Amino acid sequence: MPGMADVTGNTLNAALIRTAFLASMRLKALQNRTAHSYLMMHSLAASLEMFKPGAIVPWVSYLFPTEILSSYGITPMIPEIGSATITGSDLREAAEAAAARMALARDVCSYHRTALASVENDMLPAPTMCLGTTPLCLGKEMLLEMLAVRHDVPFREIRVPLPPDEGESSPEVVADVAEQIRVLHDDIGRWTGRKPDLRKAVVLSNRASKAWGEIMRARLAGELELNGRKTFALVFLGQLLWGTAEGAKDFERLLTERGRRDLVAPTPPPGRPLKKLLWLHTVPHHDREIFDLIEQRGATVTFEEMGQMHEDLIDPDDPFPGLARRLTDHTLWGTSARRARLNVALAKRLKVDGVVHFNHWGCRHGLGSVPVIRAAFMEAGIPFLAIDGDALARGGPNQEKSLQQMESFLELL
Amino acid sequence: MPSAYYTCNLLPLELVARAGFDPRWLGEHLQDPGAPARRDALSIHPMTCPYVTRLVTAADALFDEATDGDVLLVPGGCDAMRRLGDLMAATYPGRVFVVPLGRSAGDHAAEDLAVELARLDTWLRDKGGAARGADVPGGAAASGADAPGAAGEAGGAPTPVKELPKVEYPAAPRPGGVFVVAGPLTDNSLLTLIERLGATVSGLESCTSPDRWRPLAAAGEAAAAADPDSYLALARQILDLGMCPRRSTVERRAHLALRLDESRPSSVIYARQSFCDPGAYDAVLVAELAEERGLPYLEIEVGFPFEASGPLHTRVEAFLEAQLLDDDLLDDLDELLDDDLLSDESLDDLLDEED
Repeated sequence: MPGMADVTGNTLNAALIRTAFLASMRLKALQNRTAHSYLMMHSLAASLEMFKPGAIVPWVSYLFPTEILSSYGITPMIPEIGSATITGSDLREAAEAAAARMALARDVCSYHRTALASVENDMLPAPTMCLGTTPLCLGKEMLLEMLAVRHDVPFREIRVPLPPDEGESSPEVVADVAEQIRVLHDDIGRWTGRKPDLRKAVVLSNRASKAWGEIMRARLAGELELNGRKTFALVFLGQLLWGTAEGAKDFERLLTERGRRDLVAPTPPPGRPLKKLLWLHTVPHHDREIFDLIEQRGATVTFEEMGQMHEDLIDPDDPFPGLARRLTDHTLWGTSARRARLNVALAKRLKVDGVVHFNHWGCRHGLGSVPVIRAAFMEAGIPFLAIDGDALARGGPNQEKSLQQMESFLELL
Repeated sequence: MPSAYYTCNLLPLELVARAGFDPRWLGEHLQDPGAPARRDALSIHPMTCPYVTRLVTAADALFDEATDGDVLLVPGGCDAMRRLGDLMAATYPGRVFVVPLGRSAGDHAAEDLAVELARLDTWLRDKGGAARGADVPGGAAASGADAPGAAGEAGGAPTPVKELPKVEYPAAPRPGGVFVVAGPLTDNSLLTLIERLGATVSGLESCTSPDRWRPLAAAGEAAAAADPDSYLALARQILDLGMCPRRSTVERRAHLALRLDESRPSSVIYARQSFCDPGAYDAVLVAELAEERGLPYLEIEVGFPFEASGPLHTRVEAFLEAQLLDDDLLDDLDELLDDDLLSDESLDDLLDEED
């Protein structure tokens, strides 16, 4: 397998390696014919385009409405996905060394710290624009604007007020956010000189949403059990492809058993049903041990909080309110009480045996909400465990402690 | 009179006082860390900045024992502070008001904040403080800003007490000294440490700096429910004054560049709290600004409350000594240049003698 530097270079040699590498991934996807393998291939192919000279590289926040980029045929560069990819590649050590040399404090979110180190050391492509959203955290907005200032490129932030604890955001709030997205969509066209086709992007996004919505409905109804960790990875990568033909086809592949066969939950031994866990927040991307332990102890992550997105369809003739609503009422946005209420309801609906919150290194909004969430689950009588870790780490003292905590938790269940 | 504890200076205190509350900065009500904690005391994740950590403990202790009328006001500028507000609101329902704060200072940000300020005003009045505030002549409670901690009577009604941060410059800021950038400080011990070590202070950029809290302590008197524009003006004032690390990088950079250029320091010290995202990115920005100006830069990690002891004292001392040494050497050079020995004529004489 070639290294990252081999496939991201600008030489003829790199172009040949890149082509051969993508061809091998395509072959693998053709053999597997699963949504996950196709999504991996398509998201990687689209991302590698960003390393080419003259490419448009919008660094955006994780919840950014990427359809307004797909409208112009542009792929987003999402720091969290970039960092997870780099630290899962042969550039891991180089990225870690670069991050260690950086002046930025080590206690900030490792996704953002690694992304900054990677872009400043040519492991990720430099931005041509930086586009944020107030959800979900302040840190990534600071990262995006810092990058914009350093690279002298435009920075825009979609301001999204917090939703109420009960009910939905008001139509006025949605209209305000929709207007910001509309203006930004126009700005992107002005900056890039490209012609938009937002209707097409939204129609494609809707195809993916319809398929994903069906899968989620079946999971919530208990008709379909998927492996939450693997499903998280699918949704995570899928962020790069909303509003594209590839994204639409890949999510639609989930509707067949063959297309989702690498996502199915483990089969329980006869007469011993698996304990079902709900996973909150992000997952350790490169560390399998905790999930292996869960499986060894007869449990499974049956659902992931972060998978709850893009389930509603958007009006292609008036897309901005729909895109705005996804931001204003996102399940992870709002107060801790809102997040707790939604997750307790989700846990009850799924009839899970326990809930795990992953306290990602440096994530203030995530771990800041844990006391309220813990109290809500205690009140509901649902076992709850919060484990510390770094989504990008491999091993380490945090992992040891988390494994011990998880083991005790599973015994308790 | 009930107390309105607040966590950040970006609040118009006169608005609070007018509603019949004593505004009290929560940073002045920290618990003794050695004191035994309640069994059910609130706790937060250790990967949270010391400021928020200590404020959670302080607020929990106060509200567990306080009278029902006391409230907590939380300007939620960063994720950790927003979550502090969430935790307190969930634990003490109906007694906590979180004011969302954006990053930019544009028209939309001011309009959003104006709406929140109007909401806060109504909420405070609903909480029952209004009746007492209305008794005060002129419809506004008399300010205790000039005499922190003092209570009195004005027109028969109790005068709200304003407990403000106690940070003051030990001496008037002077060019050629140290420019200090910090998060919240309990007192001016960092500034006095610098002066004690033989340097001067050129300026302080902190949310507890007197440049910040003093103008805001008197803000809010003119705001009135009948006049929505008054809240907008107040919001603009807050956004203008509150140019803190969470703000837009461009605006913050311009603000800091101006402060540095105006105060003409000889070096910069950044007192950064651990686990503070805005502070972490801000420290990088300040380091860049210092480098652009050729100013020596020191970043120290501090707790809350600030304790100028041990390794921290040594680091500041070593940093300042190096500069004072440089200054001394420059002074010596100046003296040498002034000295007849090294005057042009003397040098010519010396060179002639050599020839």
